[in-house]
Amino acid sequence: MPVALAVPDLLVARAQAGDEAALEALFRAFETPVYNVARRMLRSAEDAEDVLQETFLEVVRSIRQYRGEGHLWGWIRRIAATKALMRIRRDQLRVAEPLDEEPVGRPTMHVGANIDLERAFEHLSDTSRSVVWLHDVEGYTHEEIAELMGKSVSFSKSQLARAHARLRRMLGEGAHA
Amino acid sequence: MMHCTMDDLVALRAGEASVWARQHVETCAACRAELDALYQRVAQLKALPALRPARDRWPVVREAARGQRMRRHRTWGAWSIAAAAALAGVLLLRPSTNVRAELVQAKQQSATLEDQLQRYDVEGRVLSGRAAALVAELEDRIAVIDGDLTRRGATATGGGTGTQDAELVKLWQQRVGLMQELVNVRATRARYVGL
Repeated sequence: MPVALAVPDLLVARAQAGDEAALEALFRAFETPVYNVARRMLRSAEDAEDVLQETFLEVVRSIRQYRGEGHLWGWIRRIAATKALMRIRRDQLRVAEPLDEEPVGRPTMHVGANIDLERAFEHLSDTSRSVVWLHDVEGYTHEEIAELMGKSVSFSKSQLARAHARLRRMLGEGAHA
Repeated sequence: MMHCTMDDLVALRAGEASVWARQHVETCAACRAELDALYQRVAQLKALPALRPARDRWPVVREAARGQRMRRHRTWGAWSIAAAAALAGVLLLRPSTNVRAELVQAKQQSATLEDQLQRYDVEGRVLSGRAAALVAELEDRIAVIDGDLTRRGATATGGGTGTQDAELVKLWQQRVGLMQELVNVRATRARYVGL
């Protein structure tokens, strides 16, 4: 998603001072991009809304610690990604789903079915979807993803390749396997 | 004929492919097509429309922000270290019970920890999600104790009956314990934002 989310320094300073109107302005500015990242990483819309809420609760708590290094959107997005990944880990622990495998019990895509990319993307595991979205769309490096996930760089790289191989199969693309 | 794997294609896109893969894709039309398809897939992912939340979550966030402001107002700042120290001096010069001395000590410890916490707040750090949840829980528990202390009208001195003072000591000591945990979380689990 293109990010044109620059906010005036004055607005940030007012938010840091606890100005409620400024905090709401920040919420309105970043509400959709935060939700979008969370929704692309998580399967459920409700979970994504919860991550949106948790992210801004953290922003409200920690905005005084933001000192202008890097883009504010980068700072907020990292909080959102961390919270979404925490939720994924929690759900995986709950259902004992291995981190790097496709979940059991989900309707399987017929290999070669001609479906659109968005639907195919939805059928990836939460972990694969997160890696693809953070790397290919949000521009995170494998090193950053590995740090966020508490995994190795090679884990991130292999997840990305496996996810693209699955997407390719689901989309019925390509000349060879 | 051996073709590029998806690992090779992803590495080619990242400019990290092996010499073999780079040379192969120059001569193999099928692998070039696969690489093009990969580029197109990524471009299509980037072009997906932004999804928007169905419900407005701002009211919940706003209430939390208001609660946080109220907690901050209730907390003791650095000024209270001096106040508590002065009080300690007064009480220690008078014949006093152990309970009162313990009360003064707990207040001093609490004020010192508040001061430490304020210093962590300005270090430009951000917490992981897990640590943030822990901080929120600790802050909520401290707020409950603060509310209890305020109801008892006991934020300044003891001076009640022996039983009342003993209860105050217990509350202040609980507060010190929670504050210590909060400081530990801030000190050991906060991370610099590397963005």
